[in-house]
Amino acid sequence: MDITLRINGVTRTGSPEPRKTLADFLRDDLNLTGTHIGCEHGVCGACTVIVDGRAVRSCLMLAVQAAGSEVTTIEGLAPDGELGGLQQALWDSHSFQCGFCTPGFVMQATAYLHAHPDAGEQQVREALSGNICRCTGYQSIIDGVLLAADRARQS
Amino acid sequence: MAGIAAERYTGASIKRSEDPRILTGSGRYVDDIKLPGMLHAAFVRSPLAHARVLSVDVSAARALPGVVAAYTGAELETMTIPGPDVLMEMLGVGGPTPEFSLLATDKVRFAGDPVAVVIAESRYIAEDGCELVDVEYDDLPPVVNAAVALDPGSPPLFANLGDNIVLPRSRREFGEVAATFAEADRVIDVRIDVHRHQNVPMEGRGCVASYDAGTGVMTVYAATQSVHVSRKAVATRLGIEPEQVRVLAGDVGGSFGLKIGASREELAVAAASRALGQPVKWVEDRGENLTASGQAREESFDVRAAVSDDGDLLGLDVQVVVDTGSYPGMGTMVPAIMEEMLPGPYKLAALGFESTAVTRNKPSYVAYRGPWASETFVRERVLDLVAKDLGLDPLEIRLRNVAPRTDPPAVMVTGRPLAGITTRESLERVAKLVDFPAFRRRQVEARGRGRYLGIGVATFIEAAPGPRAPEPPSGPLGLESMRLLLDEDGIVVLFTGQMPHGQGHQTTLAQIAADEFGVPFEQVRVVVGDSDVVPFGLTGGSRSATMTGGVALHGARQLKAKVLEFASLLMEASAQDLQITDGHVWVRGDPDSAVAVGDVARRAAAGEFGADASLEVEAAFDGGEGGWSGGSHCAIVEVDVETGLVTVERYVVAEDCGALINPAVVEGQIRGGVAQGIGAVLLERSAYDEDGNCQSATLMDYLVPTACDVPRIEIEHLQTVPLDPDVNFRGVGEGGMIVAPPTLVNAIEDALSPFGVRIYEQHLPPARILELIANGDA
Repeated sequence: MDITLRINGVTRTGSPEPRKTLADFLRDDLNLTGTHIGCEHGVCGACTVIVDGRAVRSCLMLAVQAAGSEVTTIEGLAPDGELGGLQQALWDSHSFQCGFCTPGFVMQATAYLHAHPDAGEQQVREALSGNICRCTGYQSIIDGVLLAADRARQS
Repeated sequence: MAGIAAERYTGASIKRSEDPRILTGSGRYVDDIKLPGMLHAAFVRSPLAHARVLSVDVSAARALPGVVAAYTGAELETMTIPGPDVLMEMLGVGGPTPEFSLLATDKVRFAGDPVAVVIAESRYIAEDGCELVDVEYDDLPPVVNAAVALDPGSPPLFANLGDNIVLPRSRREFGEVAATFAEADRVIDVRIDVHRHQNVPMEGRGCVASYDAGTGVMTVYAATQSVHVSRKAVATRLGIEPEQVRVLAGDVGGSFGLKIGASREELAVAAASRALGQPVKWVEDRGENLTASGQAREESFDVRAAVSDDGDLLGLDVQVVVDTGSYPGMGTMVPAIMEEMLPGPYKLAALGFESTAVTRNKPSYVAYRGPWASETFVRERVLDLVAKDLGLDPLEIRLRNVAPRTDPPAVMVTGRPLAGITTRESLERVAKLVDFPAFRRRQVEARGRGRYLGIGVATFIEAAPGPRAPEPPSGPLGLESMRLLLDEDGIVVLFTGQMPHGQGHQTTLAQIAADEFGVPFEQVRVVVGDSDVVPFGLTGGSRSATMTGGVALHGARQLKAKVLEFASLLMEASAQDLQITDGHVWVRGDPDSAVAVGDVARRAAAGEFGADASLEVEAAFDGGEGGWSGGSHCAIVEVDVETGLVTVERYVVAEDCGALINPAVVEGQIRGGVAQGIGAVLLERSAYDEDGNCQSATLMDYLVPTACDVPRIEIEHLQTVPLDPDVNFRGVGEGGMIVAPPTLVNAIEDALSPFGVRIYEQHLPPARILELIANGDA
């Protein structure tokens, strides 16, 4: 099925099978391998991308459902190689270890901070509680997101 | 010129050089590999725990458009070389060896056992093909619990074993066991169970195998903890010379012990690639990860403890049955380590240890972060049970029993010297941080309001690597090796067999080498993940801090000596008068004399210092004087006695992993381990019904902790007692997971003490907490 959508600001076309997930379409058809697949049943959040402004699990959305949408993936956050504010704060905070869950957390936190720039620790924990990290115990991730929010407010 | 005074990287929380790529989606994990002509594999798996395979018909799958091949277990046996588990052979694990195939042939041994593999143009089609494979089974009685497995009459999983016992019962005694128990004031007798749970890295297992028929070279892109162990397995099972196998690994999405070497599925994929002459990818999905990748623990301990009325733990007599799962491997290694470590940092003078290991119809045992950790659970649980019997405080009983740090050091009854242990300091420190007496007052006051708070403390030591002992301490993996060179751009390049999967070795090893050699951090490159260029190594056993940190330090020192030798010719100064800082060789006291190290390398390459002058060294390290890693943890929990929910209110760690390389990395390892311990106690269980069907095959059934389940974890680093003149970094990867479970269970039992609850198990989800309260003795 032919679809057209905008991904990271660029119009892209493709012909995914109707059953193909958005995650597989991004990874296999468009070579955007920054979106990771961790469970394929919507629990772990590793595949989170932003579709029309909302954080979405791309393993639970079919590519054809995203036709006509505006999709942002991890590759769209730092297109010129410069880290964005959230990414910089996560680096400064030693937020991650193996990195597999990282793109999902970054996308979830991006969408959340956009809507809730003044969020406190408990709110951030709840907002990120649909993303699983097996390495860190979360504290460093929460600290990084709070640092990013703080810096954004200062600037 | 930049300042001569070098900044010191070691000991500072240098930002990780791995992070820019992982934060931008530019990491390269095995599922990101895409090769021309690449095919995709999917496995047909058994729905039954134990059954004879009567027939496997793959013809309909082969006929499906897009399917390129389908192989049965029997067909794969003709494509590979049968033999025992390669890792076990490398580690020299003894005992009878079951004979098993890559895919099931005559029978299946757990629900999820692979029986056929379908290779297709896409994973979607490969899975369609699996639906078309027709397997006929004849049910056999499943062997799902240890009691049945120990029965010589139970149906054997492996015909060549005759029964289900893979390690025959054996008993060893240390100290005067019988006399100690005969003379003790009291003996307590308990059975303690540790449940089955598992690694669950966010990235499952997987590989891309690519055979080049022209050169005969098999290239495997792997998610592994060791490219060399994977290489050895592929070479052995496929009958290829090891030199013709190249294993490459990029970023690895966590492991915690799961990905040591190549699994049966990965070897089957490699065999398929060779047969087809095309690259084949397989990445397990979460269902496969939860049901078939492997699981850990499920051990039961019959424990007798000899104690004095004053609270001295005099002797332990422990019988354990270890479950190796359906295809025995790592599990058979575990009893020996449990035995050695059971005394912990205590004065325990007598230990009887009896063990046996069984196979049964559940997934195979795999290493999971501190595979022997149940010894710490048992000991720290028993100490609290004894303390309760005697009316002692949990802190008091530990301080009473902990071995003093003496010179010469006290020796564990099982043999290792307790040199440099800081257990007492760590216990005292956590007690002070939480203010035990103040907590006790608050606990009483809370109970008056119907709220149940509890405090738990536990302590551990880990041989990471352990102090130098009369026997070489380096273990079955031997010395750690490293190749180092200085290239013509002045970059110090480290080739290591470590295969980081979250530990940040590319940062930490560079910190050490930069300091020792005298270059900026950015001028060190750490090469991992290519069996053609890195020496043997394995990331596991909390080994890398000491062993690889140590070889990086000594290797950089050797390389520096070579550079100074050549520089002395160049600069017409004695090598003793030269130093390297900030990437330049200087004559001491003469800032104008600077020569960039890259210049020395270029001149060496040009032959200025002789035809065979090379700035490359091969270094090896045996662990030096070594030392213990360890610490004490303390948790404060609240149990909601209406719902059974446990909340961790506070979690405090006082740790000693030697000299810190990178405190932020160390703290990340500890917090991650504690989070897994919280999961193990409150949430996670690999659950099976009585027929051996997995009940936890999704992340909605196998619950791992989220950001709302793990509290802030406060960490204090203790002043360590250095044993080695140079290398006092010690491993920290496993400790959090080793000691968090007893810490939490001790706290929960303390919270429930008004109900007379005694806890003899590790998994305490809300339903179980409510049962314990209902069955309490109060």
